[in-house]
Amino acid sequence: MSRWCEGLHISGGFALLAAWFALVNGWQLLAVILSAALLHELGHLLVLYLLGGRVLGLRISIFGAELVTDAARLSYPGELAAVLAGPAVNLLCGLLLARGHAWVAAGAHLSLCLFNLLPVRPLDGGRALALAVSALAGPAAGEGAARWAGALTALTLGALSLWLMGRTGGSLWLLPAAAGLLAAGARELTGKKADFL
Amino acid sequence: MAARHAGRRISTVSSQHRTAERRQRSAPAAPRRGQRGKRETLSFGEKRRLAQLVACGSIFVLLVAVKLLLPGRMAQMNARLTGMLEQNIDVQGVFSAVGRAVSGEADVSVALQDMYQAVFEPQESPAVEASAPAGGEAVALRLPAAIEPLRAFRIGTGSSDGWLDLPTAETEETGQAAGTDPAAETAETAAQDGAEASTLAYVLYSDRNLPDNVCLEQALLGFDYCTPVMGTLTSDFGYREHPVQGEERFHYGLDIAAAAGTEISCFADGTVTAVGESSSYGKYITVSHGGGFSTLYAHCSRILAASGASVKEGDAIAEVGETGVATGPHLHFELHQGSQYLNPIYYVSLV
Repeated sequence: MSRWCEGLHISGGFALLAAWFALVNGWQLLAVILSAALLHELGHLLVLYLLGGRVLGLRISIFGAELVTDAARLSYPGELAAVLAGPAVNLLCGLLLARGHAWVAAGAHLSLCLFNLLPVRPLDGGRALALAVSALAGPAAGEGAARWAGALTALTLGALSLWLMGRTGGSLWLLPAAAGLLAAGARELTGKKADFL
Repeated sequence: MAARHAGRRISTVSSQHRTAERRQRSAPAAPRRGQRGKRETLSFGEKRRLAQLVACGSIFVLLVAVKLLLPGRMAQMNARLTGMLEQNIDVQGVFSAVGRAVSGEADVSVALQDMYQAVFEPQESPAVEASAPAGGEAVALRLPAAIEPLRAFRIGTGSSDGWLDLPTAETEETGQAAGTDPAAETAETAAQDGAEASTLAYVLYSDRNLPDNVCLEQALLGFDYCTPVMGTLTSDFGYREHPVQGEERFHYGLDIAAAAGTEISCFADGTVTAVGESSSYGKYITVSHGGGFSTLYAHCSRILAASGASVKEGDAIAEVGETGVATGPHLHFELHQGSQYLNPIYYVSLV
């Protein structure tokens, strides 16, 4: 019990955002999204468990949930499999739900899958890129590739969403995503961690 | 001016305070000097917290100063910020569009358009926007002007039910309160102020006060049609108090209350143009018929026809439900001709 509490970090921003979202969009939609996120993390956990890794903690912030693991002990392909398991679970669920005509739930899973596959580091896509390049060309190349791809993608997408917000009179719902992306981009550029989210 | 004086006073007070502090600080003599020196070097965490405090404090002072010195600018900013806060993303619409695109139910370009719509202009449903491009905004802008004289009248007469049974939240949409009381009351009040009522009906329904894209005339359809659901009419076409949001708004269709799960028959022969889900309309389906006419069926519990399918008059295309913004199981039925909304009441026969 105490070990779980030590590992679990839920930021105040996340609680606020979830409450706001539930107020505006209804708790059913929040439940759909949270269950999609839960299945995503369970996908990571399952593969980690099968490969013999251990989970040290879970951080939940505005930007999403992040498992803290000792996956570094695993081989590159093993870690890659664990990282990709989350989006794979979402993709599978999304396709199954789409076949059952449950479009909203399918869309939630697929959006989560696509968002997580962005090559920006705290997200699975960025980690997978770093691991894949590391496996092929060594850790330094992997780090460099992830940094540049991450910074470029994050800053472009962040700027794009800010521009769209300005153009269209701005819905504040895009703000967390834009801020998260810009922070991630800045972190990749400077190599420093921005922990305000 | 007063604000500036006040500001100066605050600054002098704080400077006095500061000098007093300085005096106090310099007062204790040498013996404890070493200790004090140690305490003044702040750790990293303390420095950060101090910086946060200073940043928050200065933002607060800045905002207060702006509010005092430039009240007009502040009100403008306030209005803008409120607008941004009120603007919402139709998350359900986004997910639905993604899901449909992947399952091959809709084209990718259509899905992208729906997504853009759901994120940036979520007030109107995508299906209706697509068929009525001149829609939402003009209506929203013109409404207040049209509503003002009505509101003044309703307050003036003092009676809650007024002259025209503009339905209240309870009697609306649930279909249970279609009883005799409101009708009897309306008859009484109508007798009392018949003259005013007719002028108000003119105000209400004259072209000047109608939304741009609404036509009240009965159009000749040129094809056979049937009533989609046999049920109780709970809300008419025209201005009404919104049952959930409470404001007076134009209602672009008919609400027909029926038991959840009742089959909805297709109005006439045609092709299903869209099947979707939005936060306001819930599960909906649109069918295009000949001559530029199309129909929308909203708040369904289940959609039975697929997008692109050709359907016949009387085919079961959906089931009644209360998805989206609804206070009970009912069908919201709209009839469009091109970008115009028609009053479907001429084409349905209800019990």
